[in-house]
Amino acid sequence: MPDKDHKCTCSEKPLVPNIVEVIDIIDRTPDVKSFFVKNPDGNGVPFQVAPGQCGMVSHLPIGEAMISCTWQENQEYLEFAIKRVGLLTDELHQIEIGQKIGVRGPYGNGFPVNDCKGKDMVFIAGGIGLAPLRSFIKYCFKNRQDYGKITIIYGSRSKADLCFKEELFELWPQEPNTEVFVTIDNAEAEWDGHVGFVPSYLEEINPAPAGAIAVVCGPPIMIKFVLQSLEKMGYNDDQVITTLEMRMKCGIGKCGRCNIGSEFICLDGPVYYLKQLRDLPPEW
Amino acid sequence: MKVLSKDKLSTALNKLSDSAEVFVPMQKGKQSGYFTWKSFEEGQDELMLEALNVYQSPKNAVFPQTERIYGIASQGVEVNIDKTYEDTSANIIFGARGCDVKGIMAMDLAFLTKGYEDSLYKARRSANTIIANACYEPGPNCFCNAMEVNCVEPAGADVILHDVGDGYGWEVKSDKGEAVTALLADILEEKEVKLPAIKPFIQNVDYSGVAEKLKDMFDHPLWDKLAEPCVNCGMCTYVCPSCYCFDIQVKMWGEQGYRFRTWDSCMFEEYSREAGGGNPRGASKERFRQRFLHKLQFFKERYGTPLCTGCGRCMIVCPTDINIVRIIDAVKEAEINA
Amino acid sequence: MKEITKKIQEIAARLFAEDKIDIFLAWAQQGEHEFHTNSYVARSAEDVKNIVFNEYSIYNVSNSLLKFRDSQERIGIAVKGCDSRGIVRLLEDLQIKRDRLYIVGIPCPGLKDPLAAARNYGGFSRKEEEGLAWKCLDCIQPNPVIYDELVGTEQTPRQQGDRFAKVKELEQMSADERYKFWEDTISSCIRCYACRQVCVACDCRTCIFDEMKPQWVGRENSTSDNMMYHLVKHAHMAGRCIECGECERVCPVNIPLMLLNKKLIQDVGLLYGGPEAGMQYVEGSKPPLSVYRENDPDDFL
Ligand SMILES: Cc1cc2nc3c(=O)[nH]c(=O)nc-3n(C[C@H](O)[C@H](O)[C@H](O)COP(=O)(O)OP(=O)(O)OC[C@H]3O[C@@H](n4cnc5c(N)ncnc54)[C@H](O)[C@@H]3O)c2cc1C
Ligand code: SF4
Ligand code: SF4
Ligand code: SF4
Ligand code: SF4
Ligand code: SF4
Ligand code: FES
Repeated sequence: MPDKDHKCTCSEKPLVPNIVEVIDIIDRTPDVKSFFVKNPDGNGVPFQVAPGQCGMVSHLPIGEAMISCTWQENQEYLEFAIKRVGLLTDELHQIEIGQKIGVRGPYGNGFPVNDCKGKDMVFIAGGIGLAPLRSFIKYCFKNRQDYGKITIIYGSRSKADLCFKEELFELWPQEPNTEVFVTIDNAEAEWDGHVGFVPSYLEEINPAPAGAIAVVCGPPIMIKFVLQSLEKMGYNDDQVITTLEMRMKCGIGKCGRCNIGSEFICLDGPVYYLKQLRDLPPEW
Repeated sequence: MKVLSKDKLSTALNKLSDSAEVFVPMQKGKQSGYFTWKSFEEGQDELMLEALNVYQSPKNAVFPQTERIYGIASQGVEVNIDKTYEDTSANIIFGARGCDVKGIMAMDLAFLTKGYEDSLYKARRSANTIIANACYEPGPNCFCNAMEVNCVEPAGADVILHDVGDGYGWEVKSDKGEAVTALLADILEEKEVKLPAIKPFIQNVDYSGVAEKLKDMFDHPLWDKLAEPCVNCGMCTYVCPSCYCFDIQVKMWGEQGYRFRTWDSCMFEEYSREAGGGNPRGASKERFRQRFLHKLQFFKERYGTPLCTGCGRCMIVCPTDINIVRIIDAVKEAEINA
Repeated sequence: MKEITKKIQEIAARLFAEDKIDIFLAWAQQGEHEFHTNSYVARSAEDVKNIVFNEYSIYNVSNSLLKFRDSQERIGIAVKGCDSRGIVRLLEDLQIKRDRLYIVGIPCPGLKDPLAAARNYGGFSRKEEEGLAWKCLDCIQPNPVIYDELVGTEQTPRQQGDRFAKVKELEQMSADERYKFWEDTISSCIRCYACRQVCVACDCRTCIFDEMKPQWVGRENSTSDNMMYHLVKHAHMAGRCIECGECERVCPVNIPLMLLNKKLIQDVGLLYGGPEAGMQYVEGSKPPLSVYRENDPDDFL
């Protein structure tokens, strides 16, 4: 299990967010937008993040939600790719550039980027699940020599729902020793790529388990079947990493919402080796 | 030993109330709980120091059911935090039983250790002094002795009162305790007192090995049976001296408002509900199990001590007679390979 | 009561033996004291011996039916007068089908409150009197209104005097006095929702108080949010509350919830007439305020 005596890295008042200004908004899909934020004085960001860490994003009069923060080396702005699903996220999708919002963080353990050095990396994502993995993927490309072959397998319901299309189709496939596979659930007129669900596509591609680490994120049902596929393909539980999305409120291991067994996912997670998850009560 | 004579009790409480909010066990109209001495109404309310305990625990004093975190001013794209709340005004819990003191010790672990410090709790707790009331006569529901509590010398108390008949022996345990003692310098008397003998516990509860055993009992069929009557109200968690879960919400009146936190309960369906209606603890039984596992196993694993203090409250309030002692017993007796 | 216990056990055993039921809902004593009596689900003829009807069998078991509304079990159930009215409510709201139920009616002699007994026993708070439970002293319908089989002899209602006396007392107050009264009372609510959870008339799958989008009622423990909770909850009880008194009995801070319910019962009676909630079951019938028509006046919205 991860180190349980966390060092506090945040402000003296961890539940009080920093005010930031939205400097850009990009439509990723019909229901996903990326929000770019900076300190209101235009200088820098309230905090740096490691790949896989999150921020608690708030539209102050409405609510807060835990959102994965996109990693960059020396963060000059923070990017959050947010899917519209409910109270807060609906409201965030209405805001415009210049809006002041709140963020607090960084929260969570992040991906074990050092543990994975020297390994072949297999990233498997569905829908908005690509958002957290994208940080790790970017990190790998930034430190390309540290990682072996990189395989990215990504699926969504339809072509329109594919996030980060520029990276998927243009940037990432050009990286050395890298393969990108994209699939959508059902055939479409404008689509000549693969059609089918992620787990079966994964088995078809069949990336070799020897010396590899698989990183999985997506809707719970996809995760469930992908984990079964990986097991079938010969991946051990310590070769599979996933990130959990429990309900969160405080983000600092106090409010109790996100607990599974004696773990608080906001603090000890959200990134886990499958091996660690197997030791937890099956509530993930 | 210093002694606070019982006929000087209200003088002492008045004195303490000059410089702090003093929470005392009270029967207030139809309610039974810890209320401030300033709100005490002669003739109507009753001080309950002589009773074993009161319905609502004193956790309210350090972790109020609802408390504001910060104020919000919102005007178009401009949104600001115009105020942060932190209550550092002195407060004293007077007459808490050992089990309730342990409840606060458990909350100290949750709120102040493992990384982040909860600033709201820390502020209140730093300004808080605990004057405990030693138990020489445990009640029929008490089982604090099984839950790592010393009911006569509760750890964490700043002063311990020992009921010696016409007065309370006044035992100072900490610097904070010295400070309140100084306030009462001309009220406390120095006397020879004989401390009463401790009566035996009426119930016999054995918690040893329960946390460890529970590790292998997550899927045990016993939960189905135990949880059957529970209606998933949140009463047991709200009266519990150590339950500390909270929700964070916002209240806006036009352009002004505030974010606040408020007690929450793992017994509520909404507590763990996720996107798309999924819920890892959607079933009543799953929530029931969470509560008891958190109390008896998870908290112990994380912080080294159980989250149940043995106060016996939840079994008195529960409308369906769920009883944590019977659950401990059932776990002890259960066969694991069932 | 021993007699009644025996008869219920016999009936339950017979029903299991004849394979007419899969479960039987009643009460059982769970701990060493009689007041440790609560709702119980017997799942086989084996379990039947645990069933009791004693002076603490006060829990409204019709509420337990909600746990089985989505499953298929055939259910035997023992009910007192108040509990039986709960069954009628569930039938009216189509929460459970009549043909899944075998109802054993018990004319109720009036019972004690196990919670009061537990408090007294535990040494918590001030000792309370341990006579009949308040809800039983106010009972207008001790005899089951719906049953397949009756055990014991009919009882006469225990309610005495003007049933709405307390309501009238409150109605006499000035608006300010009344506001003050409710403000004082309701500010002490801890929002544990026990009153909702034990209520058989609260049979919605998703309760309005659990909805977050929109959030109809704030979760703050403040006088205003608490008042909203009670206003909305009780408005939902109009024409639905069966007067079993469970909400008030279980409330940990003793809020006089039945006063609100009584006021609504009185007013719904005056405005709509007809039998009170759960007093009689006519297949297909709906209580007042449960029907929606296009031409309903809506000028209050
Ligand atoms: C560690 C972590 C990282 C996340 N990263 C991202 C991300 O990068 N991009 C993104 O779009 N979303 C992400 N999420 C999910 C995001 O937090 C929720 O979608 C968001 O909280 C919904 O808020 P809302 O107010 O709009 O919805 P609400 O109106 O609060 O809820 C809508 C529905 O979502 C449920 N819900 C609320 N919070 C969560 C949650 N945390 N997880 C699952 N369901 C929830 C509600 O119960 C309800 O059913 C992440 C969640 C976690 C825990
Ligand atoms: S549980 Fe222990 S400390 Fe609490 S009242 Fe009983 S004897 Fe005292
Ligand atoms: S155990 Fe009892 S008090 Fe707690 S939620 Fe269940 S029914 Fe309510
Ligand atoms: S998870 Fe449940 S039992 Fe644990 S502190 Fe929270 S409310 Fe209490
Ligand atoms: S779980 Fe029950 S007995 Fe244990 S501390 Fe909480 S209220 Fe007291
Ligand atoms: S049972 Fe009492 S305290 Fe709990 S929500 Fe109902 S009225 Fe409030
Ligand atoms: S979100 Fe509050 S404990 Fe994890």
